[in-house]
Amino acid sequence: MSMIRSAVREISLNLHSKPGARLVTLLMVALAFIVFNTFLIISWNLQGLMDREESLIGMEVFLQRNISEAEGRVIGDNIGSMPDVKSVYFVSSQEAEALFRAELPGRTDLLDVMGSDFRLPTSLQVVFEREAMTQGRISDISRQISSIAGVDEAVYGEDYLPGLLKTVTTIRRLVILLGIVLVSSISMVVFYTVRLSVVRRSLTVDIMRIVGAPSWFIRIPFVLEGILMGVTGSAGGLALAALLSKVLSSAVTHRFMPFSWMTLVILLGAVTGTVGALAGSYEKER
Amino acid sequence: MLLAGMSKLLVTMSDVRLSYGRTPALDKIEMEIRQGEFLVISGPSGAGKTTLLRLIWMGDKPDSGLVDVSGFRSDRIHKRELPQLRRKIGIVFQDFRLLYSRTVFDNVALPLQVTGTANRVVQKRVIALLARMGLSHRRNSFPHELSGGEQQRVAIARAMVAHPVILLADEPTGNLDPEVSREVVDLLLEINRGGTTVVMATHDPRQVPAGKGRFLFLDGGVLRGADRWTELDEKP
Repeated sequence: MSMIRSAVREISLNLHSKPGARLVTLLMVALAFIVFNTFLIISWNLQGLMDREESLIGMEVFLQRNISEAEGRVIGDNIGSMPDVKSVYFVSSQEAEALFRAELPGRTDLLDVMGSDFRLPTSLQVVFEREAMTQGRISDISRQISSIAGVDEAVYGEDYLPGLLKTVTTIRRLVILLGIVLVSSISMVVFYTVRLSVVRRSLTVDIMRIVGAPSWFIRIPFVLEGILMGVTGSAGGLALAALLSKVLSSAVTHRFMPFSWMTLVILLGAVTGTVGALAGSYEKER
Repeated sequence: MLLAGMSKLLVTMSDVRLSYGRTPALDKIEMEIRQGEFLVISGPSGAGKTTLLRLIWMGDKPDSGLVDVSGFRSDRIHKRELPQLRRKIGIVFQDFRLLYSRTVFDNVALPLQVTGTANRVVQKRVIALLARMGLSHRRNSFPHELSGGEQQRVAIARAMVAHPVILLADEPTGNLDPEVSREVVDLLLEINRGGTTVVMATHDPRQVPAGKGRFLFLDGGVLRGADRWTELDEKP
């Protein structure tokens, strides 16, 4: 118990010594995390943008004119039960006309030309699961739906879909790659900064060794200091990034990163700080 | 205090060799240190005095040969056992090696605190030792506020507070003026009279009065037992 009390005392003494050097280390860690946080905010907003683009990908299934609304809804239920189909929405002839008039107000004369007996075909709007968003899968589903009795045509934007999907996939891969590079470099910056701050206090480690302190007693204050610097530095980086985000919010519309990402940022700080401190203390203890 | 041949062996070195890279530091060292001895290891800079002391506190291990310190053998000791060995040894350095952000009291108390000694025992022992060293009035001072002699006395107090069986002093007077050096040597002799084995490495063995200890001479990593004055007269 006395030893634990001594270790706690040691930690407190360590934290009170050289506040200037500690502040510089904290600033270094915080600055490294600002760069990382900026990347995360951009990625988060880019992801939102791509999700919106993807959600627009769907299929319009036109039913034959002799199909009643009840039959159309049954076909809709059948399509809805197919794998990878997320939802199906039945659009009646009247709703289709209302939509047409709302979306193309300058072209309503086309409907008038067709005469009062003309009805737009009933249709089904099909939305896919995210996992099915590949050119091959959508094409398969399209063929299956087209073969259902009562279906006239299935349209899903064959012309632009491959390009859109490829662009979204490429951007996602680039973001992940850049993320890995940034996580690695941030980890290295924090690791070396904390490690250096430990190595700088080599005299303390030397003295501890010669007076017979056990390894854990020597290491624990440094490890706790590493965790503290990692957590405080990453939290400081988050706070500064949040401030920057607020300042820029009027000029660029964006969202700040979600809470789960913020937790991961702090965790990254804690882990890299700990590993850096451990490496520094091991190096001096050898 | 010359007790060689009478009391128990504390340190044995048998055919010890050590090199740093390609540079040989110690060669064929054969040495025994007995309990209660005051051993002076002299020699010029780079002779291997510090290395010899490092072998005793096992800061280094020999490339070949054996070092046995109070039952801890260099060929068998595990890293985990090193703190136990070092608690039996007090070490004093030329550059004091004090923690400058801590008070005199905290510096001296350190060896007790790292072993989990109860706080009241720490208080009692440190206060008594500081009084013995003439440092009571300095207990709340920081090392940078002390003179060189006072700093070295703090370092000696730190080395002695855990009641070591052997005190290693590596050029303890190297940074001190002659008068203060004499005081420090007197303090080491007094500690030795109290029963603690003292091994002092110095480039100037004349600091220790004749007849007050056993003298060994190290030259180019080779140890020669010698009457100090004869040996010194032979060396320019």
